[in-house]
Amino acid sequence: MAVLLIQMKLAVLRHSMTGRRAAQMITGALTGLALAGGLIVLAGRDHPIASLPFDLLGVGFALWTAGWLLGPALFGGGDETLRPEHFSLLSFTPRRLAVGLAGAAFVGVAPLVTLVAFSALVVVAVKAGFGAAATTVGVAAVALQLVVCVLASRLVTAVLGQVMRSKAGAALAALVSAAILAALHSSWVLSPLAQAALRTGFPAPFSAWVAALPSGWGLVAVRAAGQGQWPTVATALAGLAGLGVACWYGWAALLKRRLTTRRASGRPVRVASGRWATGPVTAVAARELRTWSRDLLRFHYLVFALCYALVFCLLPLAIGAPILLPWTGALFALWVAAVSANLYGEDGTELWGKMMIPGAARHDVRGRQLAWLLVTAPPTLALTVAAVALTGEFGLWPWLTALVPALLGGGAGVTVLVSVLRPVPMTDPHRRSGNLLENGTDFAQVLMVLILTAATAAPAFFAVRLGPAWAGPVVGLAGGLALAWLLGRLAATRLESSAPELLLHLRTGVSPRRRRPAPALDLARPHLPKPDLGVEKLGLMLAPAGRRAYVVASLTLCWVLLVAQGIVPALMLTTGQVTRSWFLALHLPQHLQWPTIIAMITLGLVLLTTGLGIGLYYLAKSRRAGIAPADGP
Amino acid sequence: MGPSSREAALRLAALTKTFGRRTVVDHIDLEVPRGSFFGLVGPNGAGKTTSLSMAVGLLRPDGGRAEIFGLDVWADPARAKQLIGVLPDGLSMPERLTGRELLRFTGLLRGMDVEEVERRADELLEVLELDQAERTLVMAYSTGMRKKIGLATALLHAPRLLVLDEPLEAVDPVSAATIKVILKRFVRAGGSVVFSSHVMAVVEQLCDHVAVIASGRVVASGPLEAVRAGRSLEERFVSLVGGQVPEMGELAWLSS
Repeated sequence: MAVLLIQMKLAVLRHSMTGRRAAQMITGALTGLALAGGLIVLAGRDHPIASLPFDLLGVGFALWTAGWLLGPALFGGGDETLRPEHFSLLSFTPRRLAVGLAGAAFVGVAPLVTLVAFSALVVVAVKAGFGAAATTVGVAAVALQLVVCVLASRLVTAVLGQVMRSKAGAALAALVSAAILAALHSSWVLSPLAQAALRTGFPAPFSAWVAALPSGWGLVAVRAAGQGQWPTVATALAGLAGLGVACWYGWAALLKRRLTTRRASGRPVRVASGRWATGPVTAVAARELRTWSRDLLRFHYLVFALCYALVFCLLPLAIGAPILLPWTGALFALWVAAVSANLYGEDGTELWGKMMIPGAARHDVRGRQLAWLLVTAPPTLALTVAAVALTGEFGLWPWLTALVPALLGGGAGVTVLVSVLRPVPMTDPHRRSGNLLENGTDFAQVLMVLILTAATAAPAFFAVRLGPAWAGPVVGLAGGLALAWLLGRLAATRLESSAPELLLHLRTGVSPRRRRPAPALDLARPHLPKPDLGVEKLGLMLAPAGRRAYVVASLTLCWVLLVAQGIVPALMLTTGQVTRSWFLALHLPQHLQWPTIIAMITLGLVLLTTGLGIGLYYLAKSRRAGIAPADGP
Repeated sequence: MGPSSREAALRLAALTKTFGRRTVVDHIDLEVPRGSFFGLVGPNGAGKTTSLSMAVGLLRPDGGRAEIFGLDVWADPARAKQLIGVLPDGLSMPERLTGRELLRFTGLLRGMDVEEVERRADELLEVLELDQAERTLVMAYSTGMRKKIGLATALLHAPRLLVLDEPLEAVDPVSAATIKVILKRFVRAGGSVVFSSHVMAVVEQLCDHVAVIASGRVVASGPLEAVRAGRSLEERFVSLVGGQVPEMGELAWLSS
């Protein structure tokens, strides 16, 4: 059974080793191997303190295991090469199926790379001169740790898949993934602590925590074997084995549940009166507000934005730096924009209804903008006012009154424009399984909208920086209004002129710019192919190689210049809380700092606008070039 | 130019659509007389959905014209679309609204008056027996309920032509009966209906005009009796599209 499933999985993997998939797999494998190699080098190096390699490896293994546990939730899906549903009609007991699938779970690139990474355990045992017995314990621990990692990953993914069918679950998942991303993005805060630890060793409580995590039990066993404490060795190894068995049992139970139960549907909803919606635009806004509260995906995104902003801005308080706190509201607005720029893609083929109503495109776009502002603006303003009141940073008011309205207006404009110009097709809402993990987030889009929305605040930023005191708020408000109006108008015009093409794109999941044969249109098919990132998505298939490279390079590099080397050091200089780090301008003499920052921002904007301009030109061109699916309806 | 009294309810002229190298709709000409109950029949993949999508402005044709009461759908969409109500097959609706909310917001988006929208929504929900599901989202509706709320949305602005793609597909007999009654009433009141189906019995039961489409072309069109030519519609259909009864020589291991 397990052998058969492993053969099946190998066959599927072999068939999918084509083109981009193969490239992705190889890139992933090489990156993983590099990281694993890093761990092995870490284990084999000489360290000033004897306990240091164990603590470092403990941290490394903990992070590695965390990647296994949460990677599927963050990046969608998990390994579903062999779906249990495929075997549900065969005469296996769920438990036998779980054994087989568990066996197949160990086949693949990721388990192999993990095996290499965990073999650092053996290396560290040899390096410490613990003797043959400890090395043998290390080998056993490597195998057990791999088993725990793979099975725990299956279990956590299955649990999240079940939990995320409810609103509370969606919020919880959003909280967890937002906390992890935000913590990673602000981990620079911890760098002084880490540098100190590398010289003088980690504090004892930290080492104790690292060893107490299941990812550290292998290390505990090896160290105990080196010191001849065999009861500890036995306990640690038995703990790992027991955990593996427990994970398998839990996963098998969930597998049975997945195969034998369906979600309840048709739960009554709370119906608000919606009396305030009396015209076309307010009707659309009221509809959108209902979607924000009733759609698990949108709700999940909203909670994610809130949690990200809170964690990112609160974390520096750990080292006593409230510098980011007043910007919590602005960051929230920015992230809501980033995760809500696929409005038409999320609604799916529902677009047809608006196409049948003359003049609906304009009302629809304006109504969605209004709803976005109604959802985003109140928390943004509340967070901003509360944070300023808490920190007493009233000196920041020119910045906040300029940037917050600019971001809100820019966000209201960018989200609808990107929704129309670059929709990511998703399974129609009524055909979704209810498991949010099935609809992976398109990170290219999130990143693009983050940059674009942040860029809309640039005029307000320069107005505060260079103009008199009143200029910032005025430019921020006027710029926000103007951008919301202008970008909304562009979106509406575009929607009016190309709605049939957009509908076809959303319906077939095939972009009009793709020229190669696409899957036949089958409306009964439950899942659209997952959106894949790449040149075709940017509409660059028709661009010459040089321009294609320029667009990709400029859109990748521009934000380094614009945000990391421009806006962030500018904020630091403005607020007086300077951390030099890798910010070029801050290492230069004082009279060169502002010119450098302005040059960086200008260069970033030039790259952004030219990259976008060329990209959009080819996007439009490839859309006009039409669609070529192999099979029509 | 307003819709004159002589114009056909729907006229397709040389309408064409190609996907890649495959021509799905091949210069279709079709005329739906006003006041008629018009059935469009054809095998799966014949081009019915594609033709109807192009006829109402949801899919851009590669060539040809589509006119609603003499108004070009693609040149003057605003006026043409006022006159039609559409029920597509398999497409999504605003799924996270209840039936009543869907009707209310659709009416308001059409620029209708609040009181009028509510009055019509009340009546439609009652006639279509959807008023029991006040607090159920469209997403959780059964197939029959989905078709009925779709029909209500199509009727809300009192159109003069209904274009329905497989309105009775996978619908239970009770809901189907309700839908049929409403459509007949709509035609009696002077409206026109075009609907596609591959169930011949339904078409024979409801329609006074019929067109047979196969491989993207119209192979027969006209009053039902004329197209049937003295036979049942099913026999005539099979002979027109060139189907044949499969021979049962293989799969011998199936018989026990």
